[in-house]
Amino acid sequence: MLISLQGIRREYHVGGEIVAALAGVDLAIDRGEFVAIVGQSGSGKSTLMNVLGCLDTPTAGSYVLNGKDVARMSDDELADVRNREIGFIFQAFQLLPRETALANVELPLVYRGLPAKERRARALEALEKVHLTQRLHHKPTELSGGQRQRVAIARALAAKPSLLLADEPTGNLDSATGAEIIRLFEALHAEGNTIILVTHEPKLAARCPRAVRITDGKIVDDGPGAEVAFRDQATGQLRDEAHS
Amino acid sequence: MIRAFFDNLRLAFGTFVAHPLRTLLTLLGIVIGVSTVMTMMALLEGLRIKVNKDLSQLGANVFRVDKWPQGFRVGGGNRMNWNQIAARPPLTLADRRAIAESCPSVLRTAASSWQPGQRVRTVTTETQPNVFILGTTVEYPDTSGITIAQGRYFNDAEDVDGRRVAVLGPDVADRLFPNIEPLGQEIRLKGRPYTVIGIVERRGKVLGLFNLDNQVLVPMNTFLAAYGKRRTSSISVEAKDAQSVDRAMEEVTRVMRQRRELGPNDENNFEVSTNESSAKSLNELSTVITAATFGVCILSLLVGGIGVLNIMLVSVTERTREIGVRKALGARRRRILAQFATEAVALSLAGGLIGIGLGFGLAALGRWALGLYTAVPTWAVGLSLAMSSGVGLVFGIYPAARAARIDPVEAMRAE
Repeated sequence: MLISLQGIRREYHVGGEIVAALAGVDLAIDRGEFVAIVGQSGSGKSTLMNVLGCLDTPTAGSYVLNGKDVARMSDDELADVRNREIGFIFQAFQLLPRETALANVELPLVYRGLPAKERRARALEALEKVHLTQRLHHKPTELSGGQRQRVAIARALAAKPSLLLADEPTGNLDSATGAEIIRLFEALHAEGNTIILVTHEPKLAARCPRAVRITDGKIVDDGPGAEVAFRDQATGQLRDEAHS
Repeated sequence: MIRAFFDNLRLAFGTFVAHPLRTLLTLLGIVIGVSTVMTMMALLEGLRIKVNKDLSQLGANVFRVDKWPQGFRVGGGNRMNWNQIAARPPLTLADRRAIAESCPSVLRTAASSWQPGQRVRTVTTETQPNVFILGTTVEYPDTSGITIAQGRYFNDAEDVDGRRVAVLGPDVADRLFPNIEPLGQEIRLKGRPYTVIGIVERRGKVLGLFNLDNQVLVPMNTFLAAYGKRRTSSISVEAKDAQSVDRAMEEVTRVMRQRRELGPNDENNFEVSTNESSAKSLNELSTVITAATFGVCILSLLVGGIGVLNIMLVSVTERTREIGVRKALGARRRRILAQFATEAVALSLAGGLIGIGLGFGLAALGRWALGLYTAVPTWAVGLSLAMSSGVGLVFGIYPAARAARIDPVEAMRAE
């Protein structure tokens, strides 16, 4: 078991009221799984992604990641966990604009304190995996959207994390480039990487071996991607009919 | 640790390259502060070295008797009121004779008197009205350390007779006789003709201001006849040897008190001072100027520091997203803090280095263009470096702490 969430709540104080973005989430993910998390905006999907990524700590509940209880960790401990266990891939790429592709990929290894030689070797290896060895010394502004996202994936891979966490990775890309990125994820999954893909697109979820759907801060569906996507669309239609 | 430091240094450098003008403007306050203090210290140190050297060149075992207190008295207990000093009787040639006759420890004495701001003419040309006219007795070269470069000093007969002969400082000689041999030529002081009999060896300026070479020396009696008999003199006294200086000073004081009929409880109404005491008072003065300069410098560094604070806050705000990404990828708080603190220190240290360079440049310029004697003391360089990096640390720590506290989720959402 790589990830085990039990009774996770994340509450915010909004104008004197307590709003639960996550209202008791239980979720278990094994090593090597490729899981989509789907949900409408406002469903709590982003909060779940932040908690899973150790960017946010839950108000209540337990979160065990790779054998470590991370729910009550301090900021700096969480930084170390993010650095070693999690490779982030963001919708907006989040590359450092002034640094080259290579330097961007090296960044998590810098914070791990690896010597320059090893950083360089690992970053090159990761860039090779995403077929970007021709663009090592280009800055993000000199790269296309698809290339930028591949740099970001290489950055996530270079740290050799136990979990790749992708937040709407195709959201800023055209459909052809998006499909290319999804194929890259599938190849990485085939190599044994654990991947969590957060998305609002049922079509993407349908391609994943497993999907969970979150609504109002709770997991309401869990199963093979295609089935979850189908049920999602069905309820969506029901909802639309009810409204009309 | 060291690897992290170099990474931070590289990042800081990258920021400067990305915003060269902004960086330069931010540095300006620190550059000005540091270069000011460097230049002032160079001037003072040069002055101190030069004056101490000058004073040590003045005849050994020499002290002076004056109406006015010597040089610059800073602070000190019994400061006298100006009117009281002005009311003191002048020192005369009769005082000098008495000292020479009744003080067994005294080897020789010389008297001198002066009139500043005079114009010296020849038939064809004239100087600015800034020449220092000095009337002296014949022993003056021995007690004051001047040497004759050309010709001779005047002799006793010329002094006693009040003959109109003159020894020129090199600047006056160059001004009046640029192309001809000055010896034997005629100059005019207050309309009266004097024959040039000698030229003094070049000595430079004292305090960077008072030009020892822009002088005309004439016999004492000639001077008194031309510029007024009632003026005071300064009497230089040379003791027989180094061991008898103190005794000679006591003897001179006793003779002077007798001549002025001072009671046992009256204070001296004249001054006896050695070259060392002048050097000491100069050193005291330079300490005060140093302290004052530091006051100015610290103000300027404060302004510079506020500049650093401001630009670092801007930098942190601008780079909120970058900070968020760094934290998401595993940078600890301390690492972010160190990154921005390093940047602030590097920024102000760069200002310090430029300021030090500029200070050396200004000191060299002063030496070359104005003929000032300057020397940059090593401690001033060290202090400038320490102060500028200190400013960076003090004013950079708050923005750095703000950067370290940024929440990565919020930050990555920022535009």
